[in-house]
Amino acid sequence: MNKDMRINPRRLLKTSPAGLKRIVLAAPSVVEMHENNKPIRTPKNPKNSLLAIAHSNKGILDDHGRQTIAAAAILADADTEVIALILGELNENLADTGADKVLVLADLNAEQFQPDVELTCITAQITSIQPTHIFMSDNFVDGDLGRRLIASQPQKTAATHVMEIDESHVATQSGARLSVQYALPEIVLLAKDAVDADLPFTGLAQPVEAKIAKVEANGQYNNLGMQTLAATEIALEEADFIVSAGNGVQQVTTFEILAHALQASIGASRVAVDEGKFARDKQVGATGKTVSASAYIAIGISGAVQHLQGIKDCRHVIAINRDSSAPIVKRADLSVIGDAEEIMQALITLINQAKNLQEAA
Amino acid sequence: MSLQRIAALVSNAQHPSSGTTRHCRNDSLAMTISLNLVESTTAQMQILHAGKPDDSALQDYLALGAKQIDVIEADTDIVENLATRLKNTDLILTGSRAESEYASGLLPYLLAEKLNIPLVANALEIKSLDNNLEILQFLPKGKRRLVSVKLPAVVVIHPLATVDLQYAFAKQMTGEIVALRAIQPTKISKIKAQTKTITRKPIKLKAHENKTGHERLMAAIESKSRGGTVVIEGNSVEKAQVILNYLREHRLVDF
Ligand SMILES: Cc1cc2nc3c(=O)[nH]c(=O)nc-3n(C[C@H](O)[C@H](O)[C@H](O)COP(=O)(O)OP(=O)(O)OC[C@H]3O[C@@H](n4cnc5c(N)ncnc54)[C@H](O)[C@@H]3O)c2cc1C
Ligand SMILES: Nc1ncnc2c1ncn2[C@@H]1O[C@H](COP(=O)(O)O)[C@@H](O)[C@H]1O
Repeated sequence: MNKDMRINPRRLLKTSPAGLKRIVLAAPSVVEMHENNKPIRTPKNPKNSLLAIAHSNKGILDDHGRQTIAAAAILADADTEVIALILGELNENLADTGADKVLVLADLNAEQFQPDVELTCITAQITSIQPTHIFMSDNFVDGDLGRRLIASQPQKTAATHVMEIDESHVATQSGARLSVQYALPEIVLLAKDAVDADLPFTGLAQPVEAKIAKVEANGQYNNLGMQTLAATEIALEEADFIVSAGNGVQQVTTFEILAHALQASIGASRVAVDEGKFARDKQVGATGKTVSASAYIAIGISGAVQHLQGIKDCRHVIAINRDSSAPIVKRADLSVIGDAEEIMQALITLINQAKNLQEAA
Repeated sequence: MSLQRIAALVSNAQHPSSGTTRHCRNDSLAMTISLNLVESTTAQMQILHAGKPDDSALQDYLALGAKQIDVIEADTDIVENLATRLKNTDLILTGSRAESEYASGLLPYLLAEKLNIPLVANALEIKSLDNNLEILQFLPKGKRRLVSVKLPAVVVIHPLATVDLQYAFAKQMTGEIVALRAIQPTKISKIKAQTKTITRKPIKLKAHENKTGHERLMAAIESKSRGGTVVIEGNSVEKAQVILNYLREHRLVDF
């Protein structure tokens, strides 16, 4: 008999939201959907687990931390659940990172300096969860904790600075010319951007109560306080809050007052720099600097691709522009349409009022 | 017990394009910081390398100010060998990541674990105070943290530490290299890794998607709009208020 696959000539019509009838090639099968129309991966009766550990920053996870959980979710098979262990408080839902369960240890935030306490706490969690693999981000905070974990558990295999990972192996780089390959180890410290965090599925991200015993610090480490560099001293690449001016900013002084009021670093588009309003090292974009601020306020910037390239890692982008069809509006999380000068003036007044109120209180 | 013996650990590296052996910048920073520290205290200084005494990278460290480099002739069990030599050292400074072998940045952690002493990473500046060490730590986003740690300790220097590296041929000529015998290796390293020349870029891990042809077509022609809010109505004060509310809601400002 001829077993050739044939397309059913009487395929079902689908009605689009606009009411039009359409023949859709290969209608999707019915699966359990999450609110945002993605199937849920979470296994019903998990046999194994993968553990992703990350520090939060101001209640949210950065991209690197999300990639780490996503790596665990991608590598997990149908019987494996992904547990995210978050150190520091968490105010967001981690379903879209693929986490099935979320454990939060709110006391262990990254600003404190208690490596001994952190290590004891996560070791206790690892002993109770018994994950087959542990994933962490190889950044300043988690990379340090991860290495302490690796050193304290010499029986577990480990790899750091992992730039390539799949089900069977991981690879990293030594110097500029050598690639180092390991079989997938038990503890993986992932470099940034080794994983695509955009998943076609979600996890349930069920909050789980973490059982913790009070851990005493061993007294070897002492925190003498945080220092925040003045906004003007911070290199643009490192800055967390940037206000950026483009061709639409006429009064540079108003702009500078606003930056000062917000304690923000100053950036600029190429046009603003070319006009001599700002120094060359303030330019953000393809031929300028790539920034990764939590907040980026683009004032009078149209958002040309070359500029958007420089801000792709920014978490919250706010645009002030006269033109509601400018490309920056598509990128921005909040766009305010209006004259830059007027809005800047109004914003400065509001900020000063708020600061005065706070001082009075 | 105050700071009496300081050690800096140095490793070798390769030039990215020519492949010639040279010093590792991260380690040079650690070495220079320790040399500066020795000048301001009465401590003794030891610079240690595990490897071959005729390594030309060591000449670079001499030129950068090392008066004497002790080389342990060992190629396995580097941690064991270094730990034995560093038992009575109060402060051990290392770079954040080597550029040879597995370049895992793990050596200082393994050493601290072996010697059972505390470790502080991401150090930018170091000050010695009696029993303690005051360290300025690098944190991302323009933050710094001042911490103290009890001696003896391992300190890992951050690559952004502001240190002037001064290269002088005269120093290279006067410095000397002393070979030390390795202790008997106790066990062979169990890390099973292969190293090979890089031939391609790393492949990003992506979730496998079972997409239909139609879905792939739609993904290619539809650009995902991020769906930000657009505020057109209202006067400028109201608009400014919207911005301030957004900043407050996401805790981007603290007023
Ligand atoms: C090879 C190459 C590399 C480049 N590299 C970079 C780079 O690294 N960085 C970079 O920024 N650019 C770069 N550019 C330039 C880039 O293409 C744009 O020309 C530039 O970013 C535009 O700057 P702009 O948005 O400030 O000015 P414009 O495009 O002139 O936009 C001004 C915006 O301000 C708005 N506006 C005007 N007046 C007001 C007002 N009173 N109130 C409110 N809004 C107002 C307008 O609606 C407009 O949207 C590069 C170009 C090339 C070809
Ligand atoms: N062979 C070695 N001899 C002495 N110190 C080393 C050696 N290898 C690494 N180190 C030190 O350990 C740090 C981290 O190295 P690694 O863990 O190999 O990335 C380096 O910056 C050096 O300071």
